[in-house]
Amino acid sequence: MDELDILKKDWKQQEASLPKLSYNEIYKMLWKKSSSIVKWIFIISILELLFWGVLNISLSDGEFWKRMEVINLKEFTVIVYILSYAVTFYFIYRFYRNYKKISSTDDAATLMKNILTTRKTVKYYIGFIIISTALTSLVYAYFTIFHHAATTEVENVANYSFTVTQWLILSGVLIFSIGVFLGIIWLFYRLIYGILLNRLNKNYKELKNLEG
Amino acid sequence: MDKELEHQFITNLEKHQNIAHKICRIYTNDQDSHKDLFQEITIQLWKAYPKFRGEAKFSTWMYRVALNTAITLYRKKKRGIKTQDFDSVHFKIKSEEYDGEVEENLKLMYAAISELNDIEKALVFLYLEEKNYREISETLGITEVNARVKMNRVKTKLKSIINP
Repeated sequence: MDELDILKKDWKQQEASLPKLSYNEIYKMLWKKSSSIVKWIFIISILELLFWGVLNISLSDGEFWKRMEVINLKEFTVIVYILSYAVTFYFIYRFYRNYKKISSTDDAATLMKNILTTRKTVKYYIGFIIISTALTSLVYAYFTIFHHAATTEVENVANYSFTVTQWLILSGVLIFSIGVFLGIIWLFYRLIYGILLNRLNKNYKELKNLEG
Repeated sequence: MDKELEHQFITNLEKHQNIAHKICRIYTNDQDSHKDLFQEITIQLWKAYPKFRGEAKFSTWMYRVALNTAITLYRKKKRGIKTQDFDSVHFKIKSEEYDGEVEENLKLMYAAISELNDIEKALVFLYLEEKNYREISETLGITEVNARVKMNRVKTKLKSIINP
């Protein structure tokens, strides 16, 4: 007899030593809280979507709009806001659709894929936030500086005006600090991802390798 | 949730609970984790039960949901490192039935199984449960060819532990 056959035979005998739960013990388990990864992903994703949504709204108080008007960016800001709301709602809708698709009765690969897709939706949303924040920050920074230069008294302008090198340094510092700030946010997300999805990603790869 | 459904579910699970316990044995190394995983499997089965229409056998359906829970849905709780002897707690090999070498080999193989990755464990489990390749490929969502290749690899891996 082959070793694996012996193992198979022994496996059957192991059944005798398995625990046996009673009807009541099982009944009690039905009402316990699940600690499934899907639940965590759902909670964390909703928190992220809310966080960015609320941040977006709370930053745009009256003061903010006045400042935008001063630097002639009111229309631009309105458009940016409409766009970002539209995109946010689109992502929430996608997230909901993907989330509903997750079912424990699917085969293992499909289940994993659906969970990863759901999480990816949030990842793309964060990517969108980061890129759009970077772009709009640059536009605002440019207009703020430009506006400042345009409204300052002529004799003072000479004192304040920058040489090309100084402009380059200023832009460099601006881009660098926006980059660092967004980079930190990105790293933070990679960390959440790592913790949440490491095992799932690994298993999915392991399962699907060899398949085209 | 209606009482009749609840009763039906618990009766079914009580009858087929071995499937879940065996999965817990493969995927966990101590009794607390075994209990935890069993509980999560029960919760997942119960949540999915309204969708179970009885087209498949309860046991077939249960294999799928329970394995999905073990591989994907279950989040291991962080525990203090426990140094319990694996075979003494988990697999009870009846010494009187085997000669020394066979018993030793079985111990080695069970220990080796506990070291496999999640997917390999699923394959070994389905093999030990005598599922055919069609069922294996449907449960895992991979092609039969892929299932065969992977299965052969795991078998070779286990055998090589005994005959290095």
